[in-house]
Amino acid sequence: MKKLINIRYFLIGLGISYFASSCVDLEEEVFSAVTADNFFKTDEEFISALGQAYSSLGGLGNHSGLWSINEIASDEIVVSHKGGDWFDGGVLLQLHQHEFQPDNPFLQNTWNFLFGGINTCNRLIFSFQQLDNPNSPAFIAELRALRALYYYWAMDAFGNVPIVTDFTSTEAPDTKTRKEVYDFILKELNEIIPLLPVAKDGTTYGRMTKWAALMIRMKLYLNAEVYTGTPQWALAAADASEIINSGRYSLSPSYKDNFAINNSGSSENIFVYPYDKVFAGGFNWVMMTLHIVSQSTFNLTQQPWNGYQTLEEFYNSYVDPEKNPGVQGPVWKGLALQPSTGTIDGRLSNFLVGPQTRADGTVLIDPGVEPTDPTGRNGDPNGPPLTFMPYLNEISPGGLRQAGARIAKYEFEMGGTNNMSNDFVIFRLSDVILSLAEARFRLGQTTEALALVNQIRARAGNLSPFTTLTEENLLAERGREMYVEMTRRQDLIRFKKYGSAWWPFAGMNRPKRVHSPGSFLELFPIPAPQILANPKLKQNPGYN
Amino acid sequence: MKKRLQLVFVFFLLFGFSIDHDVYGQQAKITGKVTDGATGEAIPGASILVKGTVRGTVTDLDGKYTIDASPNDVLVITFIGYESKEELVGTRLEINTTLGMSIQALTEVVVVGYGTQEKKEITSSVTSVKAEDFNQGTVNDPRQLLQGKVAGLNIARPGGNPNGGFNMRLRGISSIGENAEPLVVIDGVIGGALSTVDPNDIESMDVLKDGSAAAIYGTRGSAGVILVTTKSGKAGRTTVEFNSSAAVENVARTISVMNAEEYKQIPNSRDLGGNTDWMDEVTNTGLSFINNLSLGGGNASTSYRISVNSRNVKGVGINSGFDQLNARINLTQRALKDKAIFTANISNTSIDRQFGNENSFRYAIISNPTVPVRDPNPQSPNFGGYYERDIFDWFNPVSIAEQNIADGRDSRLLASIRGEYNFTSKFRGAVFYASQRETDWRGSYSPKTAKFGGGFGRNGLATIENRERLNDLFETTLNYDETVGKVGMAFLAGYSYQEFFNQGNFTQAGNFLTDAFTYNNIGAALDFANGLATVSSFANTNRLVAFFGRANFNVEDTYLLSVSARYEGSTRFGANNKWGLFPAISAGVNLANLIDMPGVSAMKFRASYGRTGTQPGESYLSLLRFGRQGNFFYNGQFVPSFGPVSNANPDLAWETKDEYNVGLDFVILNNKLDGTIDYYTRVTSGMILPINVPVPPNLFPTTQLNIGEMSNSGLEVMLNYRAVQTSNFRWTTGVNFSTLKTNLRSLSSGDLSFGEVNYRSNFGSPGQNLTQLIRIQENGPLGQIWGPIQVGVSDNGSPIMKVINGTAKDANGNPVYCNCNDDRTQLGTAYPTLNMGFNNNISYKNWDLNFFFRGSFGHYLINSYRGFYENTESTTVQNWNIVNTKYFDPRISKAEYNSTHVEKADFVVLDNATLGYNFKIKPGSAVGRIRTFLSVQNPLMFTGYTGVDPEVRYGDSESGNDPLAPGIERRATYFTTTITTFGLNLSF
Repeated sequence: MKKLINIRYFLIGLGISYFASSCVDLEEEVFSAVTADNFFKTDEEFISALGQAYSSLGGLGNHSGLWSINEIASDEIVVSHKGGDWFDGGVLLQLHQHEFQPDNPFLQNTWNFLFGGINTCNRLIFSFQQLDNPNSPAFIAELRALRALYYYWAMDAFGNVPIVTDFTSTEAPDTKTRKEVYDFILKELNEIIPLLPVAKDGTTYGRMTKWAALMIRMKLYLNAEVYTGTPQWALAAADASEIINSGRYSLSPSYKDNFAINNSGSSENIFVYPYDKVFAGGFNWVMMTLHIVSQSTFNLTQQPWNGYQTLEEFYNSYVDPEKNPGVQGPVWKGLALQPSTGTIDGRLSNFLVGPQTRADGTVLIDPGVEPTDPTGRNGDPNGPPLTFMPYLNEISPGGLRQAGARIAKYEFEMGGTNNMSNDFVIFRLSDVILSLAEARFRLGQTTEALALVNQIRARAGNLSPFTTLTEENLLAERGREMYVEMTRRQDLIRFKKYGSAWWPFAGMNRPKRVHSPGSFLELFPIPAPQILANPKLKQNPGYN
Repeated sequence: MKKRLQLVFVFFLLFGFSIDHDVYGQQAKITGKVTDGATGEAIPGASILVKGTVRGTVTDLDGKYTIDASPNDVLVITFIGYESKEELVGTRLEINTTLGMSIQALTEVVVVGYGTQEKKEITSSVTSVKAEDFNQGTVNDPRQLLQGKVAGLNIARPGGNPNGGFNMRLRGISSIGENAEPLVVIDGVIGGALSTVDPNDIESMDVLKDGSAAAIYGTRGSAGVILVTTKSGKAGRTTVEFNSSAAVENVARTISVMNAEEYKQIPNSRDLGGNTDWMDEVTNTGLSFINNLSLGGGNASTSYRISVNSRNVKGVGINSGFDQLNARINLTQRALKDKAIFTANISNTSIDRQFGNENSFRYAIISNPTVPVRDPNPQSPNFGGYYERDIFDWFNPVSIAEQNIADGRDSRLLASIRGEYNFTSKFRGAVFYASQRETDWRGSYSPKTAKFGGGFGRNGLATIENRERLNDLFETTLNYDETVGKVGMAFLAGYSYQEFFNQGNFTQAGNFLTDAFTYNNIGAALDFANGLATVSSFANTNRLVAFFGRANFNVEDTYLLSVSARYEGSTRFGANNKWGLFPAISAGVNLANLIDMPGVSAMKFRASYGRTGTQPGESYLSLLRFGRQGNFFYNGQFVPSFGPVSNANPDLAWETKDEYNVGLDFVILNNKLDGTIDYYTRVTSGMILPINVPVPPNLFPTTQLNIGEMSNSGLEVMLNYRAVQTSNFRWTTGVNFSTLKTNLRSLSSGDLSFGEVNYRSNFGSPGQNLTQLIRIQENGPLGQIWGPIQVGVSDNGSPIMKVINGTAKDANGNPVYCNCNDDRTQLGTAYPTLNMGFNNNISYKNWDLNFFFRGSFGHYLINSYRGFYENTESTTVQNWNIVNTKYFDPRISKAEYNSTHVEKADFVVLDNATLGYNFKIKPGSAVGRIRTFLSVQNPLMFTGYTGVDPEVRYGDSESGNDPLAPGIERRATYFTTTITTFGLNLSF
């Protein structure tokens, strides 16, 4: 009995002690989450915070974001509806057909990527302003440059977007015109270019430098007519020249070096996002473009998705001796039934075409091949051995699974994972040289322009120099050199070709929407969820 | 484990038989007869017990008994269905007694929050289900006991996965953003895990349906409350019960596909030489063995019940099943002249699981029937001898199930102790402490030769996962009962403090030299060296503090009033909204006591209002948090970077549900018919939803906000009719049904909105990603199945969809189908409009028969199997088999989700039919009862649905059971099964 009484006292005592200690305490106790209270304490955390502005760029190399919308809407890339696969609610077809819908999730992803990055920059600028750290002024300049890059992309894709620079503001922002955004970016760049580091070494690799910022400004000027109605060719030429004349960058001896698995030594790359299969995943082109059974070609840890393909006409611009004169040799064309003769442009390394093998060199069989049809209209012309052919039979619904040259621009790693280790090139010298060429060409300085273009052609390998320069062959050369580097949509708009019908689109229920230069379709619609979240945003014209 | 279990059994058997039976003096032999007061017929099997002792007997077939008793003894005569009676022996040697039929519907004890009440006093909507009314057969989950028994409570487990959980929804859905499962309270332990309780140990389950009944559970009451009461020992006779059953489980429903002969007829199909029935290959006959042993008893001061339960279950899927061992001790001790009562309950459960792999079912459905299971000419690469093809989404179903290992072990410990002290006969206080420890361990391995599961690509892939959940509860209560004149009053006040802690870790790594280790030596994975391993861990906590009270008033069982409130705070709420008040009021009047109505024993009309809450489902939602966001290349090396993963919302509060309920409880037709009718209407407001907020100025694109409003209403009817009541033949039949209407009134607040219209879920790969299936619409019903309407078939085999709005035009300006939501429409609704249960209990002499039908009507399901595989194209290219239902149209060659894949899924299922036989026991023998039974579960289903299981889907199994995306039958649904159980019940 005594024991039981003791238990009773024990329980009552327990109750009282609970009451006394924490009876109504409702503060949240945090263990594994990071909150504003327990962060920003050490130098490492400081650097790590800056890193977040950069690691936001990691969205560039995967499916469904900024890169995807820019490339699929251009004449470089298509993701055809292959049998049952890759229909995905018609989202990819819409992008390629220029039937842009505000509720397209790719647009929302892109917006989140861009404004997530802008916000992070704003937040960190604010934080560094509050902190009395010797690194703060340099970090702030760097963050403003990075923010300018995000704004440049946002202005290029969506045109009329809000401008927010104050992290502490809680008011929903309203839409600014494309011209206002252009002016804002220009003003920012003008202020910070003198403050940015000029070195090209390990301390600035993957970071914003004066040269990267100059390149953003050069691109603003190059497209100024599209953005503002007023061309700025001379200013574009001046910025391009300043980068070239700095002498810090030079063309790599081999085009391929810039995209190798270990491309951090490239003398040509100006700004990259350093991906790594272990430390910085998210570069998924190996999955996005390769065929399912290509897993055995590269001994990949995962099955690729057989999605992204090159348009045949674009591919042909490399091998066509008329359009791209040079050394002739065996190349794959059309159905890739047998090798044809064509220009063996050194940059054909951009593509994976023709018969594929297993890693040991033996024939690679695709057991899921369509019935064989030598014409390639209703079935695979090459039968079960996996053969990537430049030919594309139709966009939807019966796209052949082996159709289309695949994107091999970045070297694939043997035994690789779904994350590639190549650093993603955002800006490089070739683009500067070709931009200078274009600016000179537009200014009537055709001789200088021709020399610059031929500089690029000479490096490409196996090509003859151009003898004359026309808008057409300048655009084509830019296309070949800058393939899938997210410049094509912008180039097509600037060269007034974005609305052209570039592929007859057999088998589609609707052809690509053909439109004239200046059409509202040159801007993507503002994503519907953004308008919903912030009614002060205005939808772009033509999309209501 | 098995050996130990046997020892435990032996121990309990010995212990049970060695209990001393007290010996008394001065006794005389008493004889007598027990008869029915109304009919005068003898009552066989009635129990005669000497009060306060363990001495007892039962009446024979003629209702006669003999017992030794002394003059001061009191005999307690009881029989199921009758009011018990006490007889003082005195000088009598023959005691004949009559028993009156009990009106159980009035006197049964109903467990309510923090107390009990008699049913006649109840003023809110509460349904009590006692052990004798539970579902029978092979029941491994306590939820199964209630399935179909309570109007408005839907319990569904699509498919027959032995490790699968049951989804419970009370009165439809109370929350779309947070938890929609009712709160479970086990012997007072709030948030108790049902796996701590063996179904055999449950005395009753009481369902608090309306807001007024649940309001005393405050921020966790919105989805309803289920109170589980476990069996406890009774003072008096020592009882030993032993239940044993063996069950055979067979596949009941799959989906119809082509056999090899049919398949070969399809043009361009690929004949690979074999003839395989894949459904048959991936299943086997399941076997279950369930054994329960319990020992209960006690005396005036101590009572106890000890039980051990073992369950060995093998499911129909290859390598699926579990071994479970549960032990429980419930102990009650009175002290200090019965003023103090101590109760201790301890339960320990260990479950070893083998999960099998549901994907083997998915791929069994689409595997080419001409493919042999094993490869006659094994080639490189080595797939362990199984026939595999290097095609997208093509996996040998048998290899999936046989090669991949997925094991688990769940441990559950629930211990509680309660001390109660009666200061006076009217005033008592209690303290209660409970602690629950749950750990889940998971280990899986995919060998190098397994194409499915990552083993092939990763050169062997092992995963280890641990989870731990702790729940500590401390409560104190004070009760005061008083009668003033005709008014009986009962007051309750209490304080509750509860703390939860969760932690876990996850490790996944591949690239092994050998498959020999499976998951047991994960450090041997080369992935750790090359940086490709995944390791993570987490910890979080939350706390609830509450003050609560209730007052009940009862005027002669005629006028009844109850008022209660809980004032509760949660750490999960934002800094500006830490405390909420949840009041309730309910009242009733028993008209039968006021108006004389012939044949009416009770006619109670009641009405109630109650407010309950739902707290945020996760901790830290109100805080601005940063998460690891990749690495940053800094000075030639990668350093980790952190970025925001949420926005702060210091105003984050609970979801509020206001519910009105009117009801009628009645017992009429001279006690033959009793029933309950309830009508409710409820409004949930301030639903916690992730809302898109503008970025900028916010850091993260969504914020958790209290937004929007939803209403539900429904009618619930439960009727129970004692059709025949004679001593040899009894037949009771019961029916219950419920209706449901939902409306999402609003999804916005000011400028912020979840969107007037939203689309959810994703049909999936191949080719139908970003294909959204469910629409959420402001001011519309929940669960709208959404899609295009097929109107024809094009020349290339694609379905032609109806142009509804015609926003898209072709080159000639003619409207064409736009592949956008403008040309899609509502194709069905995911929630049933009517649910019903129909029960029959028949007993004839020693035989008893029970059968129970359950049905749901008005809901639709998206048949994903057909949406992907009922077409010819995948046959030729992917070598998939064709789903071959009555809807198959050979002209269709392309898979594209549309109206034809949305099917009405009304069903009626014979959930259970049980036939039992009670052996005659000679009076005075050691054995008190021997019953054998044969039970069949799910032998019959009536439905037009062509998928695997027409059961209602309350959430999307492919997106974390998203409650906003109901109504989709996914492709990995476990086949349904029929279980035949043979069992034995013994009691001593």
